[in-house]
Amino acid sequence: MAVVNPVERRPPSKWSAQATSQAASAPAFEPQRQIDMLRMMLLIRRFEERTFQEYTKPGQKIGGFCHLYSGQEAIAVGAAAIFQKSCDKLINGYRCHGHSLALGMPPRTAMAELFGKATGCSQGKGGSMHLFQVEEGNYGGHGIVGAQIPLAVGMAFAQKYLKTGGVTFCFMGDGAVNQGSFAEALNMASLQKVPAVFVVENNGVAMGTQVERHSADPELAKRACGFVMPHRAIDGNDVEVVIAELSRAADRARAGDGPSFIVCNTFRFRGHSMSDAMKYRTKEQVERAKLHDPITIYSARLIDRGVMTAEQIEAMNQEIHDQIDQATAQADADPHPDLNDRFTDIYSETYPYFP
Amino acid sequence: MIEEMERDDRVFLIGEEVAQYDGAYKVSRGMLQKFGPQRVVDAPISETAFAGLGIGAATCGLRPIVEFMSWSFTLVCLDQLMNNAANIRYMSGGQIKIPIVFRGVNGIAHQLGATHSHRVQAMYSRVPGLVVVAPSSPYEAKGLLKSAIRCDDPVIFLESEKILADKGEVPDEEYLLPLGVANVERTGSDVTILSYGRPLTRIVRQATEVLVKDHGIDVELIDVRSLRPLDLATILASVRKTHRCVIIDEDWGYCGMGAGILHQIHKPAFDDLDAPIEYIHADDIPVPFSHDLELAMLPSLDGIVSTVNEMFGR
Repeated sequence: MAVVNPVERRPPSKWSAQATSQAASAPAFEPQRQIDMLRMMLLIRRFEERTFQEYTKPGQKIGGFCHLYSGQEAIAVGAAAIFQKSCDKLINGYRCHGHSLALGMPPRTAMAELFGKATGCSQGKGGSMHLFQVEEGNYGGHGIVGAQIPLAVGMAFAQKYLKTGGVTFCFMGDGAVNQGSFAEALNMASLQKVPAVFVVENNGVAMGTQVERHSADPELAKRACGFVMPHRAIDGNDVEVVIAELSRAADRARAGDGPSFIVCNTFRFRGHSMSDAMKYRTKEQVERAKLHDPITIYSARLIDRGVMTAEQIEAMNQEIHDQIDQATAQADADPHPDLNDRFTDIYSETYPYFP
Repeated sequence: MIEEMERDDRVFLIGEEVAQYDGAYKVSRGMLQKFGPQRVVDAPISETAFAGLGIGAATCGLRPIVEFMSWSFTLVCLDQLMNNAANIRYMSGGQIKIPIVFRGVNGIAHQLGATHSHRVQAMYSRVPGLVVVAPSSPYEAKGLLKSAIRCDDPVIFLESEKILADKGEVPDEEYLLPLGVANVERTGSDVTILSYGRPLTRIVRQATEVLVKDHGIDVELIDVRSLRPLDLATILASVRKTHRCVIIDEDWGYCGMGAGILHQIHKPAFDDLDAPIEYIHADDIPVPFSHDLELAMLPSLDGIVSTVNEMFGR
């Protein structure tokens, strides 16, 4: 079992070497797929930066709690790369913009939901923390820390019961490992041997509490030992490392060998939520982490491989800027929900005498 | 449950001791042998995990029955029920259905003490997205449970330890009882008595008989049975006819189930009432262990009879 320390505690010079050595075992993707993955990471980054602007500028269009994914893109994009839409499912905590976009939610639909518009993925009833797109296998962001983990066990239970061949990918932050639901659900998942992959996105800090202060043993992968679950800690900022490890775990699940537990070490560039001034991190820590930006790593690799030139990447980035500008403008122009729609989607059935 | 599991392969049962032990209250006796461990699933003592497992499975095409050994134990997994089961459909803008039944024993049984005697009906009946029913006889239990299993919404099914062993007539042929509809058990013209579940079997039917036979009061007795959605149409029609209403409940009074029902009735029926609506409920105390004290906190036969008589100035 390889245990990789959280990003910020690793000397920068070792980063690339380690990433490359682990990436060597990654499946070889066609150049176009490599380009698509870089494009999606850039799209998520730009979407989140635009979200930040819309949240903070005068005439704020986004209300409520909002948690940005900047810095962690390789994990969602890596998972989406191996996701089988015909049968796999994904469920998530509240930092769910990146995974939703990676699974195919149009940026306009996601931004419209953040704006509380009728064209949002949940018609303005879910918001930033609760982005759902079931037709793409996206079973939502969930606002209560750890609440989605037992649901994931049930989703995987259904996949096994119905013999769909599918796998449930369950995402959570490092803070979630301290919830009771985490321990209960992982135990149950192992007992039932369900086809699930539990992925901790360890950005080193549960809101403002560093992993060393919230977990007695900061090597979070070891949490799976008590549940006799295969586990591994990996570099979550290298999309090909993420793909290699999640593929192994998904293969195990599909073969009927049960769940796995993967800790993806990463770093979030923004605060926990929009109100967070990040006083728990030094400027140097953030600057150092930015040297290991998953987008920088992957861009450099694609240039090295001759898949793309720096100019092509810059052009793609500009294209994405325009795409997000357009999506935001469309979402902005979209209609607000009809006030009567607040009474719909509560029940599936109709009941006699019920208003 | 057996009939519904034979009818639909997607239905399965999960809970503590439901399989090898044959059920803590033997409700699932023989089901493991009949359906095997994939469909009758023993869970560890992890209410959050197996309630959540049920909800997750329901979102992906199964129709789980989740048995809680006691509804009191759901205090440790309230988040799964109130946030996940109730809200996911709404938060997804209607993308997800959650066909699931949560069932188990609720309320004050016999000397179980304060922690094991919770009456959770008001807590769950407040929540949009949930359906809450409480059967009061074997006939009601079977008809309502079958409807609950076929319902596409999450149903909170409140049994009582003291009712589980009751015997009663159940038709041989299949029948379903509708969710969201109250049952007028006895028609009358003088006063409407509203009750449900355990208090109905313990004391209210008996009190009704005494009021009719010994006091000449023509009681209309309604088994509310569906606590959410509440069948306000049937209740209001009755109160407008009798002009008097008594709610009898074993919940605490303040913010209790009966208080919630009373709030729904009092304004629309105000002009039809000849007396204030009476609300007879349990004492506002933790449930004591001593049997005498436990009994003393609950509505009594004498209390019901005298309250109803007072409504007629007697």
